[in-house]
Amino acid sequence: MVRIPETAARPSAPGPAPDAGGRRLPRTLHPVAWWIWALALATAVSRTNNPLLLFLVLAVLGHVITMRRTEAPWARGFKYYLYLALTVVAIRVVFRAVFATGITPHDHFLFSLPHLPTPDWYAGIQLGGPVSLEALLSAATDGLRLACMLCCIGAANTLANPKRALRVLPGALYELGVAVTVSLSVAPQLVQSVQRVHRARRLRAGRSKGLRALRGIIVPVLEDALERSLRLAAAMDSRGYGRAGTATRRSRRATGALMLLGMCGLCAGAYGLLDATAPVLLGFPALGAGGVLCVAGLRLGGRRVTRTAYRPDPWRAAEWAVAGCGVLSAVLLFSNAGFNAAELNPSVYPLGWPTLPLVPAAAILLAGAAGFLAPPPSPPARPAVPAQRAEELT
Amino acid sequence: MTARPGPRALARTTAALGLTVAAFAGTTAPAGAAPQPMGRCTTSSGAVLAVDFSHWGGPVYRSCGTTPTTGYELLNQGGWRTTGTGHDGPAFICRIGYSGHQGGKQYPTPQQDDCVLTPPASAYWSYWHADPGQDTWTYSQLGAMLYKPKPGSVDLWIFGGTNIEGTQGRPTVTPDQLRAKNTKPTGGGKPAPRDTRTAAPLPPNVDTGPAPEDPPPSDRTAPPTPSRPVPVSPTTSKSPSPTPSKSAVPTPSVTPSTTTGSPTVAASGPRVVDAAPAADAAHDTGSWVPAVVTGALGLLIGAAAVLAARRRRTE
Repeated sequence: MVRIPETAARPSAPGPAPDAGGRRLPRTLHPVAWWIWALALATAVSRTNNPLLLFLVLAVLGHVITMRRTEAPWARGFKYYLYLALTVVAIRVVFRAVFATGITPHDHFLFSLPHLPTPDWYAGIQLGGPVSLEALLSAATDGLRLACMLCCIGAANTLANPKRALRVLPGALYELGVAVTVSLSVAPQLVQSVQRVHRARRLRAGRSKGLRALRGIIVPVLEDALERSLRLAAAMDSRGYGRAGTATRRSRRATGALMLLGMCGLCAGAYGLLDATAPVLLGFPALGAGGVLCVAGLRLGGRRVTRTAYRPDPWRAAEWAVAGCGVLSAVLLFSNAGFNAAELNPSVYPLGWPTLPLVPAAAILLAGAAGFLAPPPSPPARPAVPAQRAEELT
Repeated sequence: MTARPGPRALARTTAALGLTVAAFAGTTAPAGAAPQPMGRCTTSSGAVLAVDFSHWGGPVYRSCGTTPTTGYELLNQGGWRTTGTGHDGPAFICRIGYSGHQGGKQYPTPQQDDCVLTPPASAYWSYWHADPGQDTWTYSQLGAMLYKPKPGSVDLWIFGGTNIEGTQGRPTVTPDQLRAKNTKPTGGGKPAPRDTRTAAPLPPNVDTGPAPEDPPPSDRTAPPTPSRPVPVSPTTSKSPSPTPSKSAVPTPSVTPSTTTGSPTVAASGPRVVDAAPAADAAHDTGSWVPAVVTGALGLLIGAAAVLAARRRRTE
């Protein structure tokens, strides 16, 4: 269903040119706009358990990524997120089958696993036993929901430039921002290293499959990834990242205390909101106080860091439109307007076809409009260079 | 009351974990549990199931099932159906419905709880037992699929919230109001196929409790009508006749409670109605058209994206 074409970079017209319609110049969208869009879609996904809506979300994600991803290394990672999503669904189904949940005469019996008797003091968990179609389907839809949320995050990673996303972090989080960026770029870098080493072995007519080939791949890949990380760290260090700045010890301590208190407030607030029996004061008030403290801490810490922008990321109408259509779809799904909330979470007990509620489906398709609303990405930087060389340059 | 904090929380957790019934290995057919008219349950045989719909203005339904059985089977036979949660499977009872009540509508409704995640401790079906002769409720330490009711015991499901200390959310009915009072099976025409087994004598060390003080003669004669109100408490003051709880008339009659129960019962005493075994509520499997439409839509979106991307690259 989600079709990602192979990443063979074809030579294209040189220089930035208007897209097919001749209206918009290619440029990269603000990374925060993509992150807002993806997180809003993930929020919308968390609301529903309907497999039809979830498949629609996957289709929309595939559409937007195919339309608007760049040729950068991180833009080729989506298929690995899809593998991860498949693994999540498979694990969920296997666990539901092994830790059987019983079967009733109403259910459709599929197969029976050998039953392992457990002692009385461990009676809460049963291993093995009969497995019904309903149990597996409910596990699969539940896993699909988590898989969709994973794919939303994967889409954000694919579409947004992680290195430019770092710049919007508050100044106080500079050191943290470096760590986040390094960790975000490690997975794409590993993938790229694997592909490069694999290609090199093939060119040398080396063995490309089997255990021995694996050893031949792993060592250079690890070495390569480590070297690249060190190079990135050195590059950042030379540009002034990770320095203590001109802050006094007192202001650093104040910042730390404010942040710590704020985080405690946020945690208590989240707990209070999730636990219905918690005191009222632990809910929104604690959350609000924690938020205010965090913002104050960030402001205080940000005062000592001064930054200048060489190439500012503009926030224009396209950014508003992309972020807006994502948020709007989440709002529509949570509004319960114009549809029956039960259709969002159809039950498989008893078995029945899920319905496709009109408003949520339209909301998800609306999020897919980001594929048109965002400006087309810039073509590869040096189209004259052969594809393999271009990959290494990006 | 013996409800302790640790086991109570544990019981909720075990119910939330995947539970199964070992007795079914390899078959879909249930092993012996069968619904029975209420008259077939006695003080020493059969298990009484009671479900309190008073949260939605309904009565307390009680019905009878043969033993051996599990709490889950009792709740899924004779017109009763349950729904689990998407997260925990069918073992966590999230909705309960009876085909003789509101056309089999299950409560809480999807608007009240979507039954995707584990329901909150403030609004869920809590599970209580009363063994034969016992007049206090015990919070179930096992999930519905693991608990095996003793012959002559009462299982009660009430909706609401409980706290860890066990002081809130206790049932307002007493086991005595729900328990089968007759010593011999009555009514119901021909006995169920497995009835001989259910009426097997108890092991010698099982205390069935004292004989019922006031066995209602009605139970010997009354036919198992689907809803025969058993007056237990002064719900309204329509006809405050001082007769004790032994009327054989199948119409609702209101009498003062004969039970020596706690004052909480008198405060808001629910109506107890017998639920006869009924056919399952009709279920519509729905149409496959939306699924096909979604598939077509997904293909369309995918094809459009691939075409657009290819065109952009070749330009």
